Amino acid sequence: MMNKNHPFHLVDVSPWPIMGSISALITMSGIVKWFHSFNSTLLFIGLTSMSLIMFQWWRDISRESTFQGHHTFIVTMGLRWGMILFITSEVFFFISFFWGFFHNSLAPAVDIGMTWPPKGIETFNPIQIPLLNTLILLTSGLTVTWAHHSLMENNFKQATHGLLLTVILGFYFTLLQGYEYFESSFSIADAAYGSSFFMATGFHGLHVIIGTTFLLVCLIRHLNNHFSQIHHFGFEAAAWYWHFVDVVWLFLYISVYWWGS
Amino acid sequence: MGDPVEHATGLEKRELMAKVAGNENPFDLKVIKRGPGTKDKPNEIPSAFDARLVGCICEEESTSVNWMWLYKGQPRRCECGHWFNLVHKAPV
Repeated sequence: MMNKNHPFHLVDVSPWPIMGSISALITMSGIVKWFHSFNSTLLFIGLTSMSLIMFQWWRDISRESTFQGHHTFIVTMGLRWGMILFITSEVFFFISFFWGFFHNSLAPAVDIGMTWPPKGIETFNPIQIPLLNTLILLTSGLTVTWAHHSLMENNFKQATHGLLLTVILGFYFTLLQGYEYFESSFSIADAAYGSSFFMATGFHGLHVIIGTTFLLVCLIRHLNNHFSQIHHFGFEAAAWYWHFVDVVWLFLYISVYWWGS
Repeated sequence: MGDPVEHATGLEKRELMAKVAGNENPFDLKVIKRGPGTKDKPNEIPSAFDARLVGCICEEESTSVNWMWLYKGQPRRCECGHWFNLVHKAPV
């Protein structure tokens, strides 16, 4: 007896939302523990469990969409709305860090010398590594668009090249940010400047890592022929996310690195 | 990369094949415009099941929808007098 003749996907029960939440809590607690007592055991446990859950959750969604065909047109519209609302919430998340930065920098308190950057803070030169990072992210925006157009034109090879280059550029950005953090003359504990700088650029860096992972998953799925010319929303969501990360960086570069120095 | 319809599977593929065949509304989700709705010419409601929930907007300016269950082989009138009949339609 047939019991379904509608285009909606009624999902099965899944352990990943609750387990993902728990692993996120362990990761966050692990970071706090690491920052305060230089012990990264809990962070390692959190990141390991989160990676395993991410793998299995992505695997399940790939099965439901590519191999079981549950993602009809109206289902993909739901996914699109979900991604739009998620990125909107991310925009407001970053607005709060910019708010904190401008609160501290536009009318600097007497405690930090009534000047910005505060007295004693040696900032990064904005036309060195930060400018290179700007170029890297802008170029990666170009390569991800190249990959998208190649997908829409059924060009497997160029889509692979575009995606691979985007992932490499994302990884290169993270590497340079890590190097700059390592070379930094101030820390997150250095009052208003350190807090607002590392909170904003650190969360941006985390988003670059997440975006690179998302694009890497798309590259692996593409190499396994999961995407078709007209159905590749997983890739489009990763591209949207990547553009969002790119735009946040432009604001960071202009206000925190350039104006703020 | 192959043909996108060949690439698809399951319900997604059946939806795509319906669209290739010219049916842009394979799941009958759009509103059906009422016809004469007399006993001889009832409004035909497609369904792959033995019953379908029908919502009749009795008057154009109506602010509410009148809902009723329509069963196969039992034509039924709405409060406003229009007739409805369930007709079998193969599932997508």
